[in-house]
Amino acid sequence: MKIMIELKNLQKVYATGTHALKGIDLKVKEGEFCILLGLSGSGKSTLLRCLNRLIEPTSGDIYIDGINVVAAKGKKLRYIRRKIAMIFQQFNLIKNLSSLTNVLTGKLGYSTLIHSLTFPQHKDDVKTALENLKRVGLKEFAEKKTRNLSGGQQQRVAIARALMQNPKVILADEPVASLDPATADSVMQYLGELNKSDNMTVICSLHFLSLARKYGTRVVALKDGKIVFDGTPVEIDEKKFKEIYGEDAEEVEIR
Amino acid sequence: MKKENKFKLSLQAILTDLLFWIYIFGCVSFLMDRWFEKAIPGNFVVIFGIAAGLISFVLGLSAGRKVFLPTIRTDRKWYKSFWGWSVFLILFITFVVGWNLVEVDLYKLFTKFRNAGGIMSGIFNPNMDILIVCLTALAETIYLALLATIFAIPLAFILSFFAARNLMPKTFLGNTVYIIIRTIATLFRSIEAIVWAIIFSVWVGIGPFAGMLALMIHSIASLTKLYSEQIENIDPGPVEAIKATGASTIQTWIFGVVPQIISPYLAFTIYRWDINVRMATIVGFVGGGGIGLLLLQQQQLLRWQNVGVIIWLIAAVVWIMDMVSAKVREKLQGM
Repeated sequence: MKIMIELKNLQKVYATGTHALKGIDLKVKEGEFCILLGLSGSGKSTLLRCLNRLIEPTSGDIYIDGINVVAAKGKKLRYIRRKIAMIFQQFNLIKNLSSLTNVLTGKLGYSTLIHSLTFPQHKDDVKTALENLKRVGLKEFAEKKTRNLSGGQQQRVAIARALMQNPKVILADEPVASLDPATADSVMQYLGELNKSDNMTVICSLHFLSLARKYGTRVVALKDGKIVFDGTPVEIDEKKFKEIYGEDAEEVEIR
Repeated sequence: MKKENKFKLSLQAILTDLLFWIYIFGCVSFLMDRWFEKAIPGNFVVIFGIAAGLISFVLGLSAGRKVFLPTIRTDRKWYKSFWGWSVFLILFITFVVGWNLVEVDLYKLFTKFRNAGGIMSGIFNPNMDILIVCLTALAETIYLALLATIFAIPLAFILSFFAARNLMPKTFLGNTVYIIIRTIATLFRSIEAIVWAIIFSVWVGIGPFAGMLALMIHSIASLTKLYSEQIENIDPGPVEAIKATGASTIQTWIFGVVPQIISPYLAFTIYRWDINVRMATIVGFVGGGGIGLLLLQQQQLLRWQNVGVIIWLIAAVVWIMDMVSAKVREKLQGM
């Protein structure tokens, strides 16, 4: 199968001196659902943000769909970014705009400035946006301001926004960490469906092993900026779990 | 503590002490001149000041040490320490000098009220015959304040993006643009509108246009500052999310930043108009036209009954503007 994401000796040292990533080598195949595990501060968020250059890596190489991400500049970087959608823990919607407008912002990478300023006039864009909202079960919320939606609904709007990009890769940075367990599972279901039926490659950081087992096809664990485990979800037993999270950790069951 | 740092702090402490005591001796000299017509010569003031400053610093009890090198005997109560008494001394002597300079005279305040009788009776017997003239001048004031605000909005809006730390890239160019715009805005804001009015009344002639220009310059500067601080306080999350979709920088600003700041911007702008109406009155005094100019003319002619009309009108407008702008801002908060 085709390699979708390839990292070669990726390093990130912040201006504060924190060495967040200490040489990451990783290959992710097309259509994989790759779960990132690890304690807070182990480098998961930094890794995800290096992939679309929200954070500039210090050294190393990143190839996504065969394109060198690190070398890209200006327009080229925009073209790469629009193929990589991102989902955030805090949803990061613009709260005083409607769900529909928020979803339409997913099209920005494809639009000129003039086109984006007249979004509501472009029937085809609006139609796609409404279809995506329907896909996450929120068609009737299109005109509602997102600040009035629940956490789970907001994350689904964010998924619809991601779909608008027509992405090949979805990066999810703890997408369910601020949701209750039931809502968390339903949001993960949407990500799982995109992975299976649209063959999108997903890299998703998580804290719950139960969700990792249910949705992940592969688990990569980070500790202090290095990969300490790379395998399938079923391979993680108690011993491996303690290696990743430390001796005192207990697995919390979320069903 | 680093050595370098300690040296810098000691230097600041000793400079503080020197200035502290030079100031005290300067005040003593001034008071001696006022009361006994015998001032301490300037060079002696400096010499005494430096001597006292050095002695207090070396003895280790000075105010400068207390502020910059607070490791030494900080647990003492202020009235049991030398620095405490010297701070008390400087405050007391400042108050005495102030009293003298301002020529505070309680006797005049309580016995010469009759001098203001003309004004008081004028205020309570306003001359309603000139109401139309006054209303015209008042309209001039309100509209010049409004135009000053309207012209200031687009300029301040654009400038504020370049004066926001979180939007400017941390490159040489980004930093330079940020610093230049911030500095100019601060400089223009620190020059009072009344000074701008004097400049423009010479430039374009006395009248409302000069007043409008003065208020506009001042509004641009202060709105740029207020707006850009608002940008610096936005939630960075949505901006990050918009950037991640592949949006260009301008698109990121329009879709990620603008929706977050639009309602505080409106609130600030309405508040600014409110301030501008008040300042327009003052600006009128120095050649900015409108009701201020009329007030100045009538006051110099000692037409207290006309002055009365003007004062009531100004009070009414300020009161109404205050109420309206408070209400509108309250409504905007929920958006």
